Amino acid sequence: MEFLKKYLYPIVIGIAIIAALLVFSLNVPRSREANLVERSVLGALSPLLRPVSWAGGFAEDVWDSYIRLVDTRRENLRLREDIRSLNQRLREGNETFLANQRLERLLDMKKSVKAPTISATVIGEDVTSWFRTLVINRGSADGIREGMAVVSADGVVGQTVKVTASTSRVLLLTDHASGISATIQRSRARGVVKGKSEMLCTLEFATREEDVKVGDTVITSGIGGLFMKGLPIGEVTMVKRGEYGIFQSVSIRPAVNLPHLEEVLVVQRGGYE
Amino acid sequence: MSRRASLLLLCIVVISIVIQVALIPVFVRPSFKPDLLLVIMVFITLRGSLQVGAPIAWLLGLLDDVCSGLYLGLNAATFLISFIVIRSVSDRLYADSAMLFVLTVAGVTLAEFTLNLLLMVMFTSSPGLAYSMFSDIFPRLLVNAFIASVVSLFPGFDCQLETS
Repeated sequence: MEFLKKYLYPIVIGIAIIAALLVFSLNVPRSREANLVERSVLGALSPLLRPVSWAGGFAEDVWDSYIRLVDTRRENLRLREDIRSLNQRLREGNETFLANQRLERLLDMKKSVKAPTISATVIGEDVTSWFRTLVINRGSADGIREGMAVVSADGVVGQTVKVTASTSRVLLLTDHASGISATIQRSRARGVVKGKSEMLCTLEFATREEDVKVGDTVITSGIGGLFMKGLPIGEVTMVKRGEYGIFQSVSIRPAVNLPHLEEVLVVQRGGYE
Repeated sequence: MSRRASLLLLCIVVISIVIQVALIPVFVRPSFKPDLLLVIMVFITLRGSLQVGAPIAWLLGLLDDVCSGLYLGLNAATFLISFIVIRSVSDRLYADSAMLFVLTVAGVTLAEFTLNLLLMVMFTSSPGLAYSMFSDIFPRLLVNAFIASVVSLFPGFDCQLETS
């Protein structure tokens, strides 16, 4: 008894450790199955776990959605501003790219024209719909005179009229008062291109016998000296030959998109003194 | 006409020209371009005196010619003729009426068309122009009448240009 009294505590500890190890060793083969103890404890706790878990989730939501998002509005505004700024830069980039393409084509035309030229930008249009004129930002101070040819990357635009020191008015080839000596590129048939309306011209004085077909390219003939030979004017869209009459009726669509013209070249040759 | 009214008129004319030359063509088809100077001219016709209005009408027409076509003096002549004709009957009309203003603008648009066509046929060589003018006159009439109706809504529309 004396022995037990003296060593009771270490013996109990030892037995407890051995029992614990025994429980452990007995459960090792079935470590993946819930035993009675586990089932009882989890079963008893589960009604409590669910609301506590929900409360925890709610608290987390509150934390994440409100307390941590104090700066979100500010950040949102900053990001929106960034997007606006980037969109603006994108638009500017696209515009520069398109302008670059147009100017490249204009430069090609400039190289092909065998005369000094000066580039100009369209700054205005005719105030009425009855006349077809444009206003460009170059005038007599830049060496422009009345009666000079105006071309764009696609072809003939018209000629200068009413030149001031800093601006010039361009009489478009579609104006009724305009007349340009022209040739059909394929058959070399000749005529005079006269303006008819907003986006249409006619080839006048082309006799019935001349070979003109729809789709033919019309170019300047060089006669008259205003426009150099070979500049594209447009394309034949309609040919009509009546039973009688000397001339045939030919409609032409201008090569240049006149309503959307932005940059032009003024050929500094000729002109009226 | 007072100095303030003159200055206001000058500002309105300059703004109208800038809008017509540089802004409207970008957004509006040629047939639907309004003639703002014509609307201003009609306003002056109905509100101003013969002595002041006649030279202003002529100058407005001249400005129209400077910004349009080849023939300087064409619209100046038609504006002046229109002014004199309307002025001769305006004393018998209720000139403050917005409806009258709209109708007068429409009438002057037609008169301008007729006179311009007549003068160009007589004095210039523009074959085929009549067809283009005829095809444009209806939208032009509608747009000018619309602008006139919008102008009639502006505050100060019923004010007189000159104080006696």
